[in-house]
Amino acid sequence: MAVGLVGTSVRRIEDHRLLTGKACYVADIVLPQMLHMAVVRSTRAHAEIVEIRVDKALAYPGVRLVLTGEDVRHLGPLPCIDLFPDSKPALHRVLALDKVRYVGEPIAVVIADDGYAVEDAAELVEVVYRDLPVVLDLGEAASEAPPALLYPEFDTNVANVCRQEVGDPDAAFTDAAHVFEETFRIHRYAAAPMETRGVVADPTGQGGRITLHTSTQFPHLVRAFLGGVLGIPESDIRVVAPDVGGGFGAKCEFYPEEVISVVAARRLGRPVRWIEGRQEHFVATTHAREQIHTMRAAVDADGIVTAVTLRSLTSNGAAMFTLATTPASISSAMLRGPYRIPNYRAESLSVLTNKTPLAVYRGAGHPQAVLCMELMMDRIARDLGIDRIDLRRRNMLTKGELPSDRGTAIVLAGKVVYDTGDYPGCLDQVLELAGWDDRLRRQAEARGEGRIVGLGVACFVEETAIGPYETGHVRVDGSGKVTVLTGASPHGQGTATAIAQLVAEELQIPIADVTVRHGDTDVVADGVGTFASRGGAIAGAAARLAAHKVREKAVLIASELLEAAAVDVAWVDGRAEIVGVPGRGVTLAEIARRATAWNSLPAGLSSFNLDEVAHHQVPGIAFANAAHVVEVEIDRDTGTVRVLDYAVVHDSGRIINPMIVEGQVHGGIAQGLGGLLMEEIAYDATGRPLVSGFQDYFLPTSAEMPDIRTGFMESPTPLNPYGMKGAGEGGTTGAVGAITGAIADALAPLGIRVAGDGPFTPPAVMALLRARGEGVGA
Amino acid sequence: MGTDTREIRVTVNGAPTRSTVPVRLLLSDFLRDVLGLTGTHVGCGQGPCGSCTVLADGDTVRSCLMLAVQADGMEIETIEGVAAADGTPHRIQEAFREHHALQCGFCTPGIVMATVGLLRRTPCPSAAERAELMEGHLCRCTGYRNIDEALAALSGAEPRGEH
Repeated sequence: MAVGLVGTSVRRIEDHRLLTGKACYVADIVLPQMLHMAVVRSTRAHAEIVEIRVDKALAYPGVRLVLTGEDVRHLGPLPCIDLFPDSKPALHRVLALDKVRYVGEPIAVVIADDGYAVEDAAELVEVVYRDLPVVLDLGEAASEAPPALLYPEFDTNVANVCRQEVGDPDAAFTDAAHVFEETFRIHRYAAAPMETRGVVADPTGQGGRITLHTSTQFPHLVRAFLGGVLGIPESDIRVVAPDVGGGFGAKCEFYPEEVISVVAARRLGRPVRWIEGRQEHFVATTHAREQIHTMRAAVDADGIVTAVTLRSLTSNGAAMFTLATTPASISSAMLRGPYRIPNYRAESLSVLTNKTPLAVYRGAGHPQAVLCMELMMDRIARDLGIDRIDLRRRNMLTKGELPSDRGTAIVLAGKVVYDTGDYPGCLDQVLELAGWDDRLRRQAEARGEGRIVGLGVACFVEETAIGPYETGHVRVDGSGKVTVLTGASPHGQGTATAIAQLVAEELQIPIADVTVRHGDTDVVADGVGTFASRGGAIAGAAARLAAHKVREKAVLIASELLEAAAVDVAWVDGRAEIVGVPGRGVTLAEIARRATAWNSLPAGLSSFNLDEVAHHQVPGIAFANAAHVVEVEIDRDTGTVRVLDYAVVHDSGRIINPMIVEGQVHGGIAQGLGGLLMEEIAYDATGRPLVSGFQDYFLPTSAEMPDIRTGFMESPTPLNPYGMKGAGEGGTTGAVGAITGAIADALAPLGIRVAGDGPFTPPAVMALLRARGEGVGA
Repeated sequence: MGTDTREIRVTVNGAPTRSTVPVRLLLSDFLRDVLGLTGTHVGCGQGPCGSCTVLADGDTVRSCLMLAVQADGMEIETIEGVAAADGTPHRIQEAFREHHALQCGFCTPGIVMATVGLLRRTPCPSAAERAELMEGHLCRCTGYRNIDEALAALSGAEPRGEH
């Protein structure tokens, strides 16, 4: 029955409610007496606030309250949890005080009876600004003489410097046969989940207790942050993440609306609801990626990369959000990927600019790092006349070299020590899956016909399954059914199914007997959340550990019921039986009922009830790896980049559910592809974003997606009791490097060098072609 | 100030309704807030995403781009009406689950409703017809291939065998 459930493509237990309209997202929550909130946002990128006139808004029918920064001056800023000891704490206020630093910064909120009226009234709030110089360009912002300082008190726009130093890079450059230098520019884009953010703040609990329903990836952390900002104990706060319509990192941040809605709700004694609009989303929810990497590589006569140095700038926008230094930290710690490169130095600056705050998005700093490293590898290979696969193999860590202490560290997560994996084997397997040699031959033919065709390959190692810990609580009640409470907070990943598989297999019961609850801090007492490819591996391990303890306890109770020694009791098909006497046994329900508090304590037990809690403490980062191969063709007449074929071999340790992991890889690739080819949040010279919604921020559709062939390797990690690593982000991390590499390869014969990630929109590619006298209109 | 109201009669999932609504009320908000049918999701409020797709007299429409008063006299079908009355899932819902064609589920009701409309008009849609349907829907989770496979299976076709 349930034996062997792990590793099979069980269909998801989440799907029925999602497919029948029975899901409950935050916008679906309706409470008695509920009021509606709208946020008045800055229309200026950098300005002093001279005056805020709220009288017209207050006079509008149905308006109950208007709050401005003055009303919450006493509240502390929103926390940033990955600051370094010497970081400049440029923290975001709940509402702007005296100054605004980006278009979209919250200035005031209006609360009214009706969701339409509140929008009308918000338009009546008048803000008088005195403009300040705007700083948008990353290089200028980080320079000695920037056009403006966002926080004059710090005397710099550089909020943080993250350093990595391994070996002796200076000596390696002195001895190098070849030195390569390149500056890579990564543009700004965003996670853009299909569900925007939203909150319903309910102050009507017993004794004024707060319930905050919020579309978040980490409800327990929101509870802690909210308690900290408001100065109230966590026990006075319940945070609920209901069904969440995607997050990808953008909902792994703590936002001003999660505080101000609660302030307003407490003031009025009524629930307050705010649902972010899509246009609002593009200024009010964190952006991602924007970095400049200046990278140097020292290479010996045999094509061995002996050293790399990196100086990177990250455009963090106008404040350090919850996870603000993580992108720079990860890209600096992980730049070398699977390659040995024994000497390394990085200096990665987090820089303040007059843009929406930037933080983590699927892959965090990994996609940028992979893009830079793999483009550099291709360039070295091209310039030295070495086959690019061969060059990669020469430099790649082999299975026998692992574990490998890389000498770098990732903020919050810890030291980078690659645990397990077969990087060359993974590359070999993807080349076979892609039919690499055949593709090379066909590429040559296509080029002979004048077509612009490119092949890209990206190999990478990525941080997954980070700590600190996750919780699992498994409970069997008298019905014989099993409930799992998990500290993960999944929002599309299918983690409930994965956890149910793990628990059902441990207890040898049908998966239908397992219910998984998550996302409510009153139901799940302790937890960390879902981000950094950690849900399945870490929460799964905790749940399975708890299930194992439940099974051991059940055997003890059963031995009393069966009047047998525990060693003579076996667990068979979800029930306890006396060894060698198949007919004599007790069911899970019978065992659970025996353990209840209206009976005497079963012999040998120290606690009632058939339930156990386990914390999986994470001893170190589990590093997943993968190799991607992509074929693209560029239309000479339109500049359209078409991804023709995609092959990926992914190794995230032991796999719980291949169907789900493949789905994660597919979705990740789509996000990588979209970011490279279609998506951009550009700003005009005054700091106004040129995006108003999906009509000008283009997400990939079905039509842009190639066929994807997926292969798996499974290198279990000793850092997880069941060998599992994380699989949520790798698709994106690999896609960005592989597709850019393919575009660079396609354009190389035309003498066009690619040093960045575009976006490679048709107009951008046409401009590249025309500059070389290619394409229509050249 | 948007306080003008009008009485409308709309049949929703086969049940007649009668309401007095503000003239500026969107159909999506009418379904969600007035009737409590929250399975219709608003992903953008601007049209491109397709999450809020419902059937109006059998045609697929964006309920966020239509006023409730425009639906006066119409038959509206939403995701809540797709499964059988006893809760048995529709074969479209079964196919989406079988092919792992959804992850967070937010865009899913819109795609399912568009599929209901397409299969009613064209029981065995071609690859081109299925692709045309998907031009109108954004999904940020799945990367689409599994949705395409579910649609192909519903059409009795190989996923990508008829390009």
